[in-house]
Amino acid sequence: MVDQRLSVPRYWRRMPQYYRLEGVQCIKCGRVYFPPRAVCECGSREFKPYPLPSTGKLINFTVLYSVPAEFEKMKPLIIGMVDLGGVKVVGQIVDCMDPEKLSPGVDVEVVFRMVKMDSTYGLINYGYKFRPINNC
Amino acid sequence: MFNTTEVYVVAHSLVPGSRHYEKGLKELFAEAFLKILDQVGNVNLGAIYVANAFSEVLQDQGTLGAFLSDYVGMRRIPAIRIESGDGSSGVAILEAYNTVRAGIYDCVAVVGVEKMHDVINVKLNKALATITDYEYEGFFGVTPAAQAAMAMREYMLKYGYDYEDLAIWPIKMHERGSKNPLAYMKKQATLKDVLESEVVADPLRLYDVAPAVDGSAAVILCNKPVKSDVAIRIDGIGIGAYGTYTGQRDSLTELLSVRDATNMALRAAHVSIGDIRLAEVHDTYSILGMLALESMGLVRPGETPRLLSTGALDVGNKLVVNAGGGLKSMGFPGGASGMYELALMVMELMNVKPFESLGKAELGIVQDMAGFDLVSTSVVLRRVS
Ligand SMILES: [Zn+2]
Repeated sequence: MVDQRLSVPRYWRRMPQYYRLEGVQCIKCGRVYFPPRAVCECGSREFKPYPLPSTGKLINFTVLYSVPAEFEKMKPLIIGMVDLGGVKVVGQIVDCMDPEKLSPGVDVEVVFRMVKMDSTYGLINYGYKFRPINNC
Repeated sequence: MFNTTEVYVVAHSLVPGSRHYEKGLKELFAEAFLKILDQVGNVNLGAIYVANAFSEVLQDQGTLGAFLSDYVGMRRIPAIRIESGDGSSGVAILEAYNTVRAGIYDCVAVVGVEKMHDVINVKLNKALATITDYEYEGFFGVTPAAQAAMAMREYMLKYGYDYEDLAIWPIKMHERGSKNPLAYMKKQATLKDVLESEVVADPLRLYDVAPAVDGSAAVILCNKPVKSDVAIRIDGIGIGAYGTYTGQRDSLTELLSVRDATNMALRAAHVSIGDIRLAEVHDTYSILGMLALESMGLVRPGETPRLLSTGALDVGNKLVVNAGGGLKSMGFPGGASGMYELALMVMELMNVKPFESLGKAELGIVQDMAGFDLVSTSVVLRRVS
């Protein structure tokens, strides 16, 4: 099991982001980035970890019917853009049986879910998704 | 400054996009390449630039250039493969242009080739997801169609349009395609056809999506014209970049890489956007065609659906957009798309079939783009006699 995990460092090196939505904040100017990056717009290269808040608002979304192979069994996917404390994140919206009820401005919270099955190693990849706080 | 020379498009060809099940990458490449070779007779080709986006994912083939040049009997000619997603062609044209302009070679070929139908749809979607920020977008199921759909929603909200208003893009492109024997989609489309087509990524429908095709298109660029009567000269090329995670963008309705690429090309060509008479834009999704026009400055922001519906961008007007029906009608051959646009523009400027009705327009622009505003190119071409 451990060996298998080590065989996919591509996945586990992103755990802080996939599991905790960990962005970075520039120590010099305070700008926050998700995903993290190496150099800030201000030129600074010094950042500290910045976990994004776990609730926010939906800004934009689409119901995606034509999906990549590994999502075939989960389609359609609702793909949304979410504002988490001023930082925009794109991801799946889940637990929404009726997408007609979604609209920009809806409150959402971060949930931790299975994203997909790694087709090479059979490993399950987990990560963040978003759920409307009021029933959908 | 080093000495630079002028650059002419001296040959062009395209294999009409289709499901070419009987042809692989090599055969498609050879078909387009041998046509341009036959047009110029004996020129001294220094290099071949190959635009291709997905051969690793779709054909398990890397180092593509080497095998393609060997297949056409030119194994000692360097074939340089350029990968920049569905905008590969524009970057290949830029690199080829630069080598001729700098005097490194007298002539080079540029060939776009892509074979989209070697895999089933869901695997093709996976390949297309590689033109998103894969770790944070593709990983979660985000595809270019999802990005285009969100851009469409933002556009509709920002400018107060309904979906019906935006359906004018596919309707107009199908109308043009119906008069273009080189098109993949040769049927006219009615508003009803568009509205009743399946939803791909709400509000985006099937008719908003350029259909994937296998294909190849090619040009030869030289430092002087081969024929003396009429020649097509490249007067300026620009490239722009705005590669970022979708969430880090301020807006989904402005394509900043397109704006920068176009301004750079116009500066190089010493012309202003108002001088342009013909435009080929990269409409992999109808909304991206509209946003390209607006980001280039050819149309005021938010005006494209209105202008299209009045016929203001049709043949007979000051500016004609996608005279051949765009990628919507020609099909979407991945990284070869921009080469189709370029080959069509050359035909439009040369006033040859099926573009005789365009009159003698002198200046055209070709816009190509990778993913959602990641890397874009614009090429300004002039007809000189
Ligand atoms: Zn900073």
